[in-house]
Amino acid sequence: MSKISIRQAYRDRHVLVTGASGFLGKVWLVMMLDHIPEVGRIYVLIRPKARMPARKRFEKMVATSPAFKPLHEKYGPKLGEFLASKVEVVEGDIGTPGLGIDPELLPRLQRDLDLVINCAGLVDFDPDLRDAVLTNVLGTRNVGDFLESCDHAKLLHISTCYVTGTRNGTIAETLLPNFSPDGSDFEVDRELDDIEQTIAKLIEKNQSPKHMERHRKKALKKIRERKLDPENATLMRTMTRRAQRDALKDTMIKEGQRRSYKYGWPNIYTFTKSMAESVLIKRADKLKFAVLRPAIVESALNYPFQGWNQGFNTCGPLSYLLGSWFRHLPVRNGNPFDIIPVDYVCRGMTIAGAELMLDIASPVYQCGSSDINQLTIDRACDLVALAHRRHLRERGKSTMERVLLSRWDAVPSEPEHLLSVENIRKAAKGVTKLMRKVPRKWPKGMREQTDKWADKAEDVKDKLNTIDRLLTLYLPFIHDNYFVFECAALRRNQIEEAAFVFDTTAIDWRHYWLDVHVPGLRKWCFPLFEGKTPEKYQPDHPFKLPPPTPAPAEIRPAAEA
Amino acid sequence: MTERKSAAFFRAEGVILSRGVMAASAYLAGNAQRLGERALRLGFVALTAPVHGLLGQNDRTLATRLANLAFRNMTEDRIAELSEEYARDILEDSVLDQGRELVKRSRKQGHRIVLLSDNLASIMEPLCERLGIFDDLVCNRLEFRDGRATGKLLDPVVGGHGSGRWIRDYADQHDIDLGRSVAYGGHGPDLLMLSAVGNPCAVNPDYTLRRSAREADWPIVEYRE
Repeated sequence: MSKISIRQAYRDRHVLVTGASGFLGKVWLVMMLDHIPEVGRIYVLIRPKARMPARKRFEKMVATSPAFKPLHEKYGPKLGEFLASKVEVVEGDIGTPGLGIDPELLPRLQRDLDLVINCAGLVDFDPDLRDAVLTNVLGTRNVGDFLESCDHAKLLHISTCYVTGTRNGTIAETLLPNFSPDGSDFEVDRELDDIEQTIAKLIEKNQSPKHMERHRKKALKKIRERKLDPENATLMRTMTRRAQRDALKDTMIKEGQRRSYKYGWPNIYTFTKSMAESVLIKRADKLKFAVLRPAIVESALNYPFQGWNQGFNTCGPLSYLLGSWFRHLPVRNGNPFDIIPVDYVCRGMTIAGAELMLDIASPVYQCGSSDINQLTIDRACDLVALAHRRHLRERGKSTMERVLLSRWDAVPSEPEHLLSVENIRKAAKGVTKLMRKVPRKWPKGMREQTDKWADKAEDVKDKLNTIDRLLTLYLPFIHDNYFVFECAALRRNQIEEAAFVFDTTAIDWRHYWLDVHVPGLRKWCFPLFEGKTPEKYQPDHPFKLPPPTPAPAEIRPAAEA
Repeated sequence: MTERKSAAFFRAEGVILSRGVMAASAYLAGNAQRLGERALRLGFVALTAPVHGLLGQNDRTLATRLANLAFRNMTEDRIAELSEEYARDILEDSVLDQGRELVKRSRKQGHRIVLLSDNLASIMEPLCERLGIFDDLVCNRLEFRDGRATGKLLDPVVGGHGSGRWIRDYADQHDIDLGRSVAYGGHGPDLLMLSAVGNPCAVNPDYTLRRSAREADWPIVEYRE
């Protein structure tokens, strides 16, 4: 075991990070700037949006995201000055060859960069196959191309532990070329070509006259449902285009799922993330890289502050569901539920990056908790129920919530349970059918009442469909498979700075779920599920990014380890 | 030579708290995870209540052990959370003002304040932290295996005649002069504890303790509403 000083490893080194506007990237950036101000320069690759250039996006992110709180508190009105000296915003997009970086800036980056951290990724479980391939696979290929053009930069690629798909058991920290979970014949370039051809065919099919007619019929149906004017040609065109787009997206999702299931991945996300790893492995002779695979990334334990979370991520929807009247969560008791707080993942990223620059990196770093501080799914279910109970008893909106819902604890059950979603849906369907078939000779008042009940049962059925879709997405992780991720590489070396030590045994799961994670979800994520806006952060000193300063242009010898 | 310290030993149930151990057991059992489980566990606590009543004036250890069997297989997380909730929302309101006064008086007299309770540590520790008036706490602890309660209490079980022996061991460990110490108890099983100190006092005593207190000429305190 060697002793590593993270500060020393990053001193005067230049790092480029992609995906810095995401949950993980943002926390890593803040942690780096806060704890390692000795770092040379951090280049933040940001994609410009239609009306907002990258620099403006970054400025807005720093000014409004609660993740930057530690930096606002530390530097106050001088934050702009500090960031201008340490951070350079680079306009670009990993989906574009050459990362879309300004050709004038490119030579400087190629010459100066020591480390590239590729955090960018599409983390939806089942997105449009085109988007997933573009960001997760082709994006990684573009990053690889860029790295090959650099003088000495190394790559830390952020993947996921779940690239293992449906391969169960203890998952070792190994990189397998052209890996497929079920062991079937898989070759990444062949698969990419095949996907490309299939996408082209599906687009062509979607535009065929037969399908266009279908889109038009759908559009007409919607227009009539909304009681709009079907004679309005512009409206008809817009609605048809929308129907065509939606149909194509559905087709792409289905195609992505079909391919994922074919090889043993539970969803498009893990399928494309695994493909990205295979893309990198093929370049192992030309590239110096390491892969960091986090498990389920969740709320921060301590940094940037307790409970920080962002967006609709991983187990947030499940936790939200368990705070409702829904009770029977299909899980397999005793299965590990590998949660890892985002600040621990950022520690892992920093360690892996340092080891890469010191040339002592391991090819894969798995970043989870199931190997030495295992949380089981049934325990997580109990803890979520207790966390909701605590909140509802104290702050429930109605007596019903305070008295009844707070005691309506979620319980682990089997998917075939009597009160499973499927069975409740069947019951709701039965009720709707029964209520709609009331004999005409019944008094009008009674018929109106049964109609109302039938409408309510329909609503329940719709909600159950949503829950069912959600559970189908999560079932591979909470019921069907048993994974324990070996995470030895991050503990292999002794880290000098306590703020970067990766010791998951220090996580007290009860404290984490009751005092940190669920309150964090309630504050930052649940409002999004309810169509509300989470609390906005307003720093004491309004933030403005000063004009860019000239970057260091000298060529440095590689720093000593 | 420095003077040895003295202590004031308080039995929680009846002297400091108006609620006994069965109420806590019922609360925890009635808030188990599953609805059916709640009914079963509550039923079990209800069955042990007569045992507790029958043995109340003698040795309560058996009744306390039985009542805690109702938590068998409950998770440590749930027991900890419910206990904290019970201590905060229910037990804190049942602290007797007269009991607080007795503690204050003992504190003024320079005694180390020790609380003895039949209740579980998961309930009493957060309560004592909130009250902040006790120096030491002795109570019962559940045994846990793989994050779940086995239903057994760890020895020594507080609530029986063992308190007498325990108090002497405690005095030896902390260099306490029992002759100058005081003890407050309210039930028959507290007899040995009270007789171990120089200044015993019966508080709202039950029949057994009242009779013994009168025979031994111990002071009797009756709380008034």
